[in-house]
Amino acid sequence: MQLSLNEDQTQILDFIDSLSKPYSTVPMHDTSLALTSEELDRELVENGFLDVMAMEELGAVTAALVVEKLARLPFAIEAAASALVRPIIDPELPRPLCLVEEGKTAGPIRFLRPGATVVVVGESGVRSFTADEGMIAAAQDDTLYAYPVAFLKDLPAELRSHDVSAEDVLRQWRTALAAEAAGQLAAALESVKTYVSERKQFGRPLATFQALRHRLAEAQVATNGVYWMALKAAGTGDAGDAAMAALLAQEAAKRVGYDYHQLMGAMGMTLEHPMHLWTYRLKLLTAELGGRGRHALAAADALWN
Amino acid sequence: MDFAWTDEQQAFRQKLKDFLAENLPDDWEKFSEHGPASPALTKFAREFCAKLAENGMLFPHWPVEMGGEGLGPWEQQILAEEMWIAGEPRGGQYMNVNWIGPTLEKYGSEEQKTRYLKPITDGATLWCQGFSEPDAGSDLASLRTRAELSDGNYVINGQKIWTSYAGLADTCFLLTRTSDDRKRGITILLVPMDTPGITVRQIPSLIGEGDIHEVFFDDVTVPESARLGEEGQAWEIIAYSLRNERLGIPRFYLARAALDRAVAMLQERNDFSGEIVRAEASRCAALCEAARTASYAIVQKRVDGLQVGSESSSARFATVMCERAVCEFVVEFVPEALAGASPYLKMHHQRGIVAGVAAGAAEIQLNIIASEVLELPREPR
Ligand SMILES: Cc1cc2nc3c(=O)[nH]c(=O)nc-3n(C[C@H](O)[C@H](O)[C@H](O)COP(=O)(O)OP(=O)(O)OC[C@H]3O[C@@H](n4cnc5c(N)ncnc54)[C@H](O)[C@@H]3O)c2cc1C
Repeated sequence: MQLSLNEDQTQILDFIDSLSKPYSTVPMHDTSLALTSEELDRELVENGFLDVMAMEELGAVTAALVVEKLARLPFAIEAAASALVRPIIDPELPRPLCLVEEGKTAGPIRFLRPGATVVVVGESGVRSFTADEGMIAAAQDDTLYAYPVAFLKDLPAELRSHDVSAEDVLRQWRTALAAEAAGQLAAALESVKTYVSERKQFGRPLATFQALRHRLAEAQVATNGVYWMALKAAGTGDAGDAAMAALLAQEAAKRVGYDYHQLMGAMGMTLEHPMHLWTYRLKLLTAELGGRGRHALAAADALWN
Repeated sequence: MDFAWTDEQQAFRQKLKDFLAENLPDDWEKFSEHGPASPALTKFAREFCAKLAENGMLFPHWPVEMGGEGLGPWEQQILAEEMWIAGEPRGGQYMNVNWIGPTLEKYGSEEQKTRYLKPITDGATLWCQGFSEPDAGSDLASLRTRAELSDGNYVINGQKIWTSYAGLADTCFLLTRTSDDRKRGITILLVPMDTPGITVRQIPSLIGEGDIHEVFFDDVTVPESARLGEEGQAWEIIAYSLRNERLGIPRFYLARAALDRAVAMLQERNDFSGEIVRAEASRCAALCEAARTASYAIVQKRVDGLQVGSESSSARFATVMCERAVCEFVVEFVPEALAGASPYLKMHHQRGIVAGVAAGAAEIQLNIIASEVLELPREPR
């Protein structure tokens, strides 16, 4: 057992911190719900941060740390699937990577755009294709999720098969989902914490009311749990750990999606405050892979048969 | 980062398992239902701990200077886990090796060390912790049990409550008030429980025989040399003690073992295929794992020689959540377990239900997280 960051991990996280510094705040007057940056994306790729999993001495835990860190940024970055799932399918697959479940391709798909690699996971195994303009229906302008999303109109006739089991991909997908949620949960907590510490009503900061303190403290416990379980799932590569991590992530996401907006009053409904960037990503993540119940059942299969 | 135990750690755990298998009686599970503080278990623990001591397994995590093997926090964790899922055959002596011994070593006089450390390392003595009072629970610093120094003796008057093990303990680690200063007026006295003037009354409870007591002090007189540290130093000393014992009992470990037992019972009667029961079981397991990883992160800090602070309250609260979930699971899906069908699950339940109260209420943990982990502005006093 060794749970502190090693030197390489500390260094990588420090690098990411300095590289992403210009992207750590929301540009003034940006009202886009899905804040993205081609430039940041390019820098991350060029510096190899999305490829750490395959590197010796780094591995999946480091990839999960990178994903968690990047998910804290206000900018939406397709990192989780690329950094934690792509390496076991084919490290050369072009990004962005869109993971979809076989038979469930009708929902909003994160990061889908022409040129994206769509990986279809299910009974027929793990198959992929490159999306082109004709296959994609853009989302409506009034989409509330703070990710760029689009819809698949249909699948191509031919999909490329990959030599990896659907179970392995599902496991890694759950880990990726938990790692990404962990970062968003941490960033959202930081943001609400600042708000309730500064906002005064009844002559004192909101954060001095115990009813709110306890909700935030419970959120801290849940957030910490998701963080450690995501890392553990990455480290052990165990299907049960991954399913439990995803389950905890979605439970925490549901809780804070309500609580944080509640604690911010009307301020949390505005686009000038960045809270929605994390909560409305978390909301879409709660639907991933069928939601909590499905992860719970997957965990039961792994833990007790 | 590595989530696997090393070969040495696994071997250490196996050694403990083997020892337990060899030294616990066949009817142990039924027997341990009496509760860790019961007369039956206390008597058993005196022999069992002596055997642990002979085999180097009572305090292997203590530094070599203290007679231990210097094995460190992970081994202390493994030791605690294996003992606790076995129903804690050490009884109350776990406190001796976790925090009383190390505290005496750091703050005790030579006389106190000579008198008290050897019985601890022999596995032959039981302590109790006289902190809580009828009007001083969560607000411990409001305690009122008075100790007046006169002619080289302290005369103690007052009352403690919820004192585990008090009925059979040899010595009490007692918090007393020696002046009106809220925290700096509290002083520790090491009081032999057979001192005249001490009356112990057991409080019948849901959690096993002999577990909790009231202890009355009527003109109980002990020499000044019974004081640990200086007058008014108690708060500092117990902060040190708690650093050694911050995480407390590894409840998540037993909770998970209990959950597995409950699932096995359901499987046995072909009742573990429904989606509701399976999903609920997984939720419990996930909460146990979350508590475990949060706790292990703190053990790691100790391994790294870092000071452990308020983040342990977060791990403690996570542990309360998993205990609660597993207790509720058992009651909902295997109700017969608490009516005779499973001594082990009853044993777990009796220990599990106190998780949110004993050793500091869950809400107090939330208060600490809010103030010290999240650093929110303080509540008005
Ligand atoms: C099995 C068991 C064994 C114990 N063994 C010992 C022992 O050996 N020695 C010893 O000294 N003590 C012992 N205790 C006592 C234990 O430390 C106290 O029960 C605990 O500190 C809580 O104090 P209380 O019971 O007086 O509850 P109170 O302080 O009266 O609190 C009751 C409830 O009110 C809420 N609450 C209290 N304060 C706050 C606050 N500030 N904010 C929000 N909510 C709050 C919490 O929900 C709390 O559970 C034991 C308790 C149990 C259950």
